[in-house]
Amino acid sequence: MSGGGNTLTSMGGSGCGGGSSGSGGGTSGGGGGGPCGACKFLRRKCVPGCIFAPYFDSEQGSAYFAAVHKVFGASNISKLLLHIPVHRRSDAVVTICYEAQARIRDPIYGCVAHIFALQQQVVNLQAEASYVQAHLASLELPQPPPPPRPQSQPQLLFLTPPPLSITDLPASVSPLPSTYDLASTFDHAASPSSWATQQRRFVDPRHQYGRSLPSSSATLGLGGGNSDLEALAHELLHRQGSPPPTATDDSPSRTKSR
Amino acid sequence: MNPKRCAACRYLRRRCPKDCVFSPYFPPNNPEKFACVHRIYGAGNVSKMLQQLPVQTRAEAVESLCFEATCRIEDPVYGCAGMISLLQTQIQKTESFLARTQAEITVAQIKHSQNQHSEFM
Repeated sequence: MSGGGNTLTSMGGSGCGGGSSGSGGGTSGGGGGGPCGACKFLRRKCVPGCIFAPYFDSEQGSAYFAAVHKVFGASNISKLLLHIPVHRRSDAVVTICYEAQARIRDPIYGCVAHIFALQQQVVNLQAEASYVQAHLASLELPQPPPPPRPQSQPQLLFLTPPPLSITDLPASVSPLPSTYDLASTFDHAASPSSWATQQRRFVDPRHQYGRSLPSSSATLGLGGGNSDLEALAHELLHRQGSPPPTATDDSPSRTKSR
Repeated sequence: MNPKRCAACRYLRRRCPKDCVFSPYFPPNNPEKFACVHRIYGAGNVSKMLQQLPVQTRAEAVESLCFEATCRIEDPVYGCAGMISLLQTQIQKTESFLARTQAEITVAQIKHSQNQHSEFM
């Protein structure tokens, strides 16, 4: 394996199953190692330079690619990866796998359910933070203790977000912070089904907390190289549970690209 | 050209049947919505996904698909994961703030009780 890019190594089924014979430039293909997981699923010859080979190994990669193929389609993912720099493709594949698995598990909301749950958690924490802040202010000043819920909130650090629905989801997303740890990205704060019992209110965090993010995501501190991505892969698999169900109904038995 | 074609059929340049699976969710006045979804998922995949869902849940599914597609177009590498990261970061910061504030409350309460005790003495 060359060091041309960050590749996910297979860790007993973790992550998307990185290629064991891939360079970051995707210049490897079937070779002596057999077809990659994607080509195995598509039942086609894995050519040298297969764009999927570095990211979907022949062991676990097929299962992950099945999910990706079912949700996005192989050609769409191929086009997407072609527009991404080689050294960023492994991260893209991981997030694509995550979204595909989330969509299969929750066909209605996909990973947006997770976003809703996190947003609700943020709202709850902010309410609690404003309350304890008011309580502290009352303790530090020689005044009567505040009411159980402060009537006015003079020193709020966070604004109470307006209630929104899924139809108010933003049309644009700001770039990532300068340090981005993929390993913590898929930390499910709540089970995907728990939010369904709550009122769905989604607030664009960028509107609430300001655009304090850098203008470019090119300076992401992935550091660690393979170790961070391996941790992510392990985290992804651990939190998603067992590998995704095989999409047998999507097996392209008639798709044979020779 | 039928001016009443949904945005999907207009984009795909085809006739819009009466039972078009897209038409309730992709009105002709918002062509970007379907373009976004089509670019990431493809019309066929979206159609299959919608057909597998109960009718009453399809609107929400379309909105979530649009959101994910938009995120992916804006950030081809991380997509929705960027939003998740932002929220998790905010949660961590808020939890830290809560812990600090609660510690300060504890200190303030101890000081207050000590002052009261010394006044009593």
